[in-house]
Amino acid sequence: MAKERAQNLIKQLHDAVVKMDEEASAQLSKTILAEGIDANRAITEGLTAAMSKVGELYTNQEYWVPELLLCSDALYAALDILKPEVKVEEADIKGQIVLGVVEGDMHDIGKNLVKVMLDAAGWTVHDLGRDVQLERFVEEQQRTNADIVALSALMTTSMLAMPKVIQMMKARDPNVAVMVGGAPLTREIASSYGADGYAKTAVDAVAEAVKLLKPREIK
Amino acid sequence: MTKFKQDEMTEKERFEALLLRKPIDRVPFFPYDFAFAPVMLGYSKFIGYTDADKGFDAIVRTHEMFDGCNYAFHPGGAFPARVFGGEVKIPTSEYAMAVALERPAVETEEAAWKLQLPDIRTRGAIPLMMRFSELQYKYGYPISFTSGSILTRLGYIIGVEKMCRWMLRKPELVHRLCQLVVDFLVSVAEYWVDTFKHPELMIPLTGAPTDSNQIISSKQFAEFCLPYQKEVYQKLRDMGIRHIFTHICGEQNLNLPYWAQIPMGDPGIVSFGHEVDLDTASKYFPNDVIMGNVEPAVIQTGKPEAVYELSRICIEKGKKHPSGFILSSGCDMPPHSPPYNVWMMRKAIDDFGWYI
Amino acid sequence: MKPDRTTSRERIDALLAGRTTDHVPLYPFMLGFCTKNVGYPLATAYSDPQKSFAAQLWTQEQYGFDWGPIYGYASYGTWEFGGQVKMPEGGYEQAPSHVSFPVQTEEDIDRLSLPDVKTAGFLPLAMEFSRLQAEHGTAITLVLGSSFTIAGNMCPVEILYRWMLRKPELVHRLLRLATAHIIDTVKYWADIFGAEQVIPQIWEPLANNDIISPKQFEHFILPYLQESSASILGTGIKHIFYHICGQQNLNLPYWSQVSMGNPGICSVGSEIEIGTAIKHLGDKAIIAGNIAPHILLTGRPQQVYDLCKNAIEAGKKAPRGFMLMSGCETPPDTPPYNIYMMRKAIDDSDCY
Repeated sequence: MAKERAQNLIKQLHDAVVKMDEEASAQLSKTILAEGIDANRAITEGLTAAMSKVGELYTNQEYWVPELLLCSDALYAALDILKPEVKVEEADIKGQIVLGVVEGDMHDIGKNLVKVMLDAAGWTVHDLGRDVQLERFVEEQQRTNADIVALSALMTTSMLAMPKVIQMMKARDPNVAVMVGGAPLTREIASSYGADGYAKTAVDAVAEAVKLLKPREIK
Repeated sequence: MTKFKQDEMTEKERFEALLLRKPIDRVPFFPYDFAFAPVMLGYSKFIGYTDADKGFDAIVRTHEMFDGCNYAFHPGGAFPARVFGGEVKIPTSEYAMAVALERPAVETEEAAWKLQLPDIRTRGAIPLMMRFSELQYKYGYPISFTSGSILTRLGYIIGVEKMCRWMLRKPELVHRLCQLVVDFLVSVAEYWVDTFKHPELMIPLTGAPTDSNQIISSKQFAEFCLPYQKEVYQKLRDMGIRHIFTHICGEQNLNLPYWAQIPMGDPGIVSFGHEVDLDTASKYFPNDVIMGNVEPAVIQTGKPEAVYELSRICIEKGKKHPSGFILSSGCDMPPHSPPYNVWMMRKAIDDFGWYI
Repeated sequence: MKPDRTTSRERIDALLAGRTTDHVPLYPFMLGFCTKNVGYPLATAYSDPQKSFAAQLWTQEQYGFDWGPIYGYASYGTWEFGGQVKMPEGGYEQAPSHVSFPVQTEEDIDRLSLPDVKTAGFLPLAMEFSRLQAEHGTAITLVLGSSFTIAGNMCPVEILYRWMLRKPELVHRLLRLATAHIIDTVKYWADIFGAEQVIPQIWEPLANNDIISPKQFEHFILPYLQESSASILGTGIKHIFYHICGQQNLNLPYWSQVSMGNPGICSVGSEIEIGTAIKHLGDKAIIAGNIAPHILLTGRPQQVYDLCKNAIEAGKKAPRGFMLMSGCETPPDTPPYNIYMMRKAIDDSDCY
């Protein structure tokens, strides 16, 4: 019974995110905790799975950016409640990623959606925001020892900053993977810039980040 | 330049003939060069956002250099954010391209419900855009001003993310705001017509990046853009404006059936991003001039032969269009584009773009 | 633009043969500008002959100018004699620059030897470039410094100038070696391509009268210029292109004593009036010049246009012919429209 109840609540949480119901997802998260259901389980089976479903709906052109934004609101309404209750040793942390929109570019919807997908998938995201000075990416990676640096650009002018960041990053630590994304980019351009990875959409970004993740030392 | 076949018409004659549906000698070229042109003259690429005279001069000279057609526009810069009381950032970074919205005029639902039409004449970018138009008039260029898109302008008033959220959560509020944008755009048009008195000399510009299917669905376009954009265009036509330049920016294939319901002019000029095939564009806009659509990122970073080949493909498709075709980049010419790549577009016209 | 009636090659051939050309030939003298114009990194102007050639050829086609492509830089001699240069990088460098000189002390001179023209320094790249020139039917222009400029690249100029006063014999040793190298290299090029096809381009920026006196020019530079030019012309080469760089008005009477070919080509900077250049050199050389690079870089288009029109007008009096040219290398960041204005000024002038 308890098992069924837990499954049911997590399913409801999943559906609340997919259906963009911010209020419901917050309420369900509180209920989940109150009933002693494992927060980490709720995140992975409920929220991560929900955003994966949302990603599918976006790829199939059933959901668009407005829907993604509302799903992300519902996601964070739940995550903000559940995450603090996750025991560190149980946390299924995929990896650490530094994320930002490069200098000169103020368009951050795409980057924000990438953050949502990565958060949902269990990544620790160090979000530098938009119009990020080039050195900041390297400094933040150094500070956090992040596995991956992810750069976003929407304009043909700002994409020109990317090879410089990649060069700076590789000069500092060639083992850190750099991935790029944004409207004017293609996989070919990304490769010519020296990037290790490229994602066309926010949905693709998570899969690409997983591919780039190298085995980490167990501390 | 020196090796091209001699033109039979001036740029002005060609552009006018195109809009009168008369034969022309060759495909015109529009470099889309508000940011690119200043770089050709050694100015900051953002000069047009602060100095209309230099911005216009740069465009005229760059058109001379590349045989660009007789049209120019001033985008305003996150227009009309400042007109409604928002704040913008005039860029300085070498990696920036355009003015960005810093703080929207409207941040709450309450403020959105109360938002009224401002007195436009002295606000925001309007004086600068008016000065640009004075120069257009003086030097025989068609006079341009902003005529849309509804959602792109709304995005600059309230912020794109908020607009997206409200489209789902508060559609009635978005409808209210869309109508306000209509009233605003019509008031701009009236101001321009009052000032210059010759609507037949005007070709207003609609830039529509926020309507892209990379952001909204075609259903959302149909609900929140179509009826209002139609209303604006009808009112412009009623004022005596014959031609409207509509830049359908980015991935908008799913919106085309709706855009096609909007009368664009007699003819209109409809420009497309590289995401829309020109054969498709031709099908949806048989009675309008179509324009496009070499991918800007290729112009910026691609080899000259790649730009040439893409231009050739565009020309060969566009030339078949019964109402005329203008070769251009699929969106703003990246200001750091190698000038030779831009020249390759003109060269492709010389090799493939003659009608005579 | 008015359509040309001849090709660039035909125009240059006519100029060199003393025939009338359809319009004033144009040479904006640019390498880094061309690589930037086509989207290549600046350094490829010097490090990659294929890219450098293509960039210049394409830019030539775009702007309608006539001389080139060429391959060379002012620091020639450092690398060839055993020092090091580095390719330009960053936003503010224009050409290869010195890292280390082969000569810092007197003893270093003893260790110098004549470079192998097949393998020394940038010469293999220059040869690759000249093969492209031959393939494309453009003039085969080998760019070298004059003896004095090469000496100033073998040894830091602060030392060279001190030795000119304190130990002139050391300077002469360097100049001897530099002259032998110039002759050696030009002969090699003449053997490979045929003397009639080769037009050596000799740059002389270090003889500037802001630095040395005309007497020092007479003593340290003139004899070696005369020797090398005589030897070059003795191979059967018909024309030498001398770039008389910067303020050299006081040196002109000496330059006029240098054989340059029939005709030679003399390019001058904005510091030398076209009329003055014609007076001293017009009977033996085509005069080329003299639009100030800093005006090209920072001037308004009308300024550039006016300068060009004035130069064209003055150049009409050159008995052996005139080519509109920048006074020295056009900076890579020159606004493209200003280069266009050079061609426009020609277009608006009376055609011949």
